[in-house]
Formats: sequence, C-alpha cells, structure tokens
Amino acid sequence: MSNMRTINFTLNGQEVSADIEPHRNLVELLQRFDLFGARESCGQGLCGCCTVLVDGKAVSGCLYFAVWVDGKSVTTVESLDAEGVLSIVQQAFIECGAFQCGFCTPGFVLMVHQLLKEHPSPSDDDIRHYLSGNLCRCAAYPEIIEAVKVAARRA
Amino acid sequence: MIPFEMVEPQSLQEAVSLLDPEEPTIRPVAGGTALMLMMKAGVFQPTRLICLHAIEPEHARITVSGEALRIGAMATLSDVEHDANVAARLPVLKRAMRTLSNVRVRNVARVGGALAHGDPHMDLPPVLAALGAKVSVAGPKGHRELPVEALYSGYYETVLEKNELITSVTVPARNGRKATYMKVTSRTADDWPALGVAVSFAHKDGTIRDPIVIVSAATEKLTRMTSTEKELQGATVDDKALARAGEAAAAEAQILADAHGTAAYKRELLKVYLRRAVRQALAEG
Repeated sequence: MSNMRTINFTLNGQEVSADIEPHRNLVELLQRFDLFGARESCGQGLCGCCTVLVDGKAVSGCLYFAVWVDGKSVTTVESLDAEGVLSIVQQAFIECGAFQCGFCTPGFVLMVHQLLKEHPSPSDDDIRHYLSGNLCRCAAYPEIIEAVKVAARRA
Repeated sequence: MIPFEMVEPQSLQEAVSLLDPEEPTIRPVAGGTALMLMMKAGVFQPTRLICLHAIEPEHARITVSGEALRIGAMATLSDVEHDANVAARLPVLKRAMRTLSNVRVRNVARVGGALAHGDPHMDLPPVLAALGAKVSVAGPKGHRELPVEALYSGYYETVLEKNELITSVTVPARNGRKATYMKVTSRTADDWPALGVAVSFAHKDGTIRDPIVIVSAATEKLTRMTSTEKELQGATVDDKALARAGEAAAAEAQILADAHGTAAYKRELLKVYLRRAVRQALAEG
C-alpha cells in the first residue's frame, strides 16, 4: 500500500524525519531510531511502560499513532542523561532502590517528570494519582513513592 | 494493526464530507485511545480513518457562553480536568476526571470521542447526562442538538449517523443544583466500572427537587432512571426515602451480568450506591 508518509519532528532535541505508515504506533517509530526505552507491554495504555512525552505531556506510545508526532517534540527516557548526568528523578530512583528488574522504570521516570512539572511539591495523593497508570510487577511501589519525594525535595 | 489509510480534512465540512453513512470501515478518529484498543483486538478494522487533528484548534476550546459552559469536542479530557471555568462551575466534572482512566490517556482522549464511542462503561457520558448537557452534532444537512442522555441506542451504539460528528457539548448553568458521580469497580480501583451512578438535583427546604438519575456500566447503555426520579421528587434525604429510591432503581434498571459481577450483585450495588450518591452530592455541593 502506498500509504507511507514523511513526518518531521523533534526527537530528544534533534530535528529528524521518518517515513512511516499510518497504522504504526509511536513505540514502533522510536524503535527505528534505536530507542528502546519505551516498551509496548500491555498494549492498552494501562501499564505505562511505553510512556513518552509529546510536547511535554505524557502519552502511551502504544496508543498513539506515529504520524501524529509530525511537527511535534518527542522526549524519551534516553534524553534524560543526555549530558552524561542522570536527571534528579533517575538519581532518586537509584538511591531509593525504586525498582528490581527495571522494566517499568523508564515509564515511571517520565511520569514523575510530568508530575513534578505540574506539582513541584506533590502530596501522597498527587503521587498515587499520577502513577496509578503505571504498573510495577516487582511491586517496588513504596520505594518509588519515596524516590518521588526525594526528587521533589531536590528539584 | 492492519494497514489503513489516514486522511486529514482541513475543515469540519470537509471532515463530514469524507465520512460515508454506508461504510462502517471509515471512521473519524480524535484521540484514538479507545479506537486503537478495538483495532488491536481486531474488533474494528478500518479501511480509512478521518483524522480530526487539523481542525482541532477551532473545536478544542472551553468557553463560557451566558451561564452555560461549552466544551469543544476536540478538547482533551486533561483540558477539561485543568480548566479554571470547569473547576469553578462544575467541580463534579473535574472530580470525575481524576478517576477516569489515567493521566496519559486523559492527555490524548478527546471529549467528542468519549461521548461518541458508546461504551456504557465510560465515565464522562453519565456525568454530563446528569448535568443536563446537550451535544451539538454536525452532519451533511447541517447542525442538530440532542441531550447526552438521548445519544445512546445500545451497546457501543449511538443514534448518530456515520457521517455525523459531535462538535461540542454544552452544560447548562448549575443554578445551585447538587451533583455527583460514583463509580464502583469490583476488581481493582482503576478497573472499568461494574456500575456508574450520576445524580443531580435541586435541594430546597430540605427536599429533593427535579432530580436526574443516570445509571451506566451495569446496563447495556447509559440509562436515565425516570421511575427512580419520581420516587426522589419531593423526598427528604433520609434513610427511608433513599432505601425506597434504591428499590425503585433496582427494579427499573435493566442490569446485565458480566466479568465485573452478576446482575443480582450489581442490583445490590445500585441500591447502596444510589443512596451514597445522593448523600455525597449533598456533601460536595
């Protein structure tokens, strides 16, 4: 099908373009740029492993058509240590041991970035509310909540 | 997903003209969060999607006109959640947003899509129906308006033609009416609801006036409970009156069994949650 279209967007601060078909989702697009931090896991927008920021807002990459990032700015977890220094959130996750296997961590980290942008001093309720759409099969939730608080204090 | 074509009309009129009343494999897409689930499940296989993003700026605004609040169909659920006018005039709507799916989905899902999808488990339609909201619909023959409660004809079915688009929803002034929405999830807190109950009413001299009672999720489609409303009309809010209203609701609702619970279980839920909803509406104001 001659459905391929060329899109131009900003990916982690770089202007890029890609040829992509309308039925591809954002996770599939990112894989073509060798970015594997966003993982399609549940495929239903429930688990948060595919979290990506589009124009600064968290979206589920598995439920977002790739062509829709045309003209937009896309941020993935890979950009957070772009200058060789971990972000405050990443550092807090390490210090609090806020993971075991780490599979869900990129999604949690990006959700926490949006949380702290909108609520610099989040309440417990804010934290649970923003992270209720992210699942951690290792159940590192207490450590994750602690990491958010540590990051908020330093941000 | 199976390949399909995506076109991007530049005006509402063009979008309507690209839809085909006889062709179910051509559908509009706004946020796509619900549609993509159907596509991934293979339940819906489009040949062409009419993407509405190019006409978004014009149809995403949330404005106050007179005493009413008009929400453009392309507003995201997050836009509604964070809008100052919504917070000031319709706190019930803002509160409902916090329990609706999750932050990421609300960042993308659009109000028009949430209304047009026709899934009886969705949270936004019962809240808007209880608030007496009306949708504006554009089609080839022009515009028409209908109440949200009249939008649904069955499970995932609306009265809209396949070449009609919801352009906005208008919520009338609350005029001091109490309103609330309660959802009951029987497995995890963030699950699809087993039951949704939305109520609104005026409260004068200690009695309920002009109640609207909406039930969702447990029924095939969002349903206005007119017998229950009659039971509540003029009632004093006490255990006796609320028990009677609960019995009326349980008798009136066409409740279906599914993975969230048996019909008998959901009927008991309805008795309890109608009572709680009326009390919560009074408490929240």
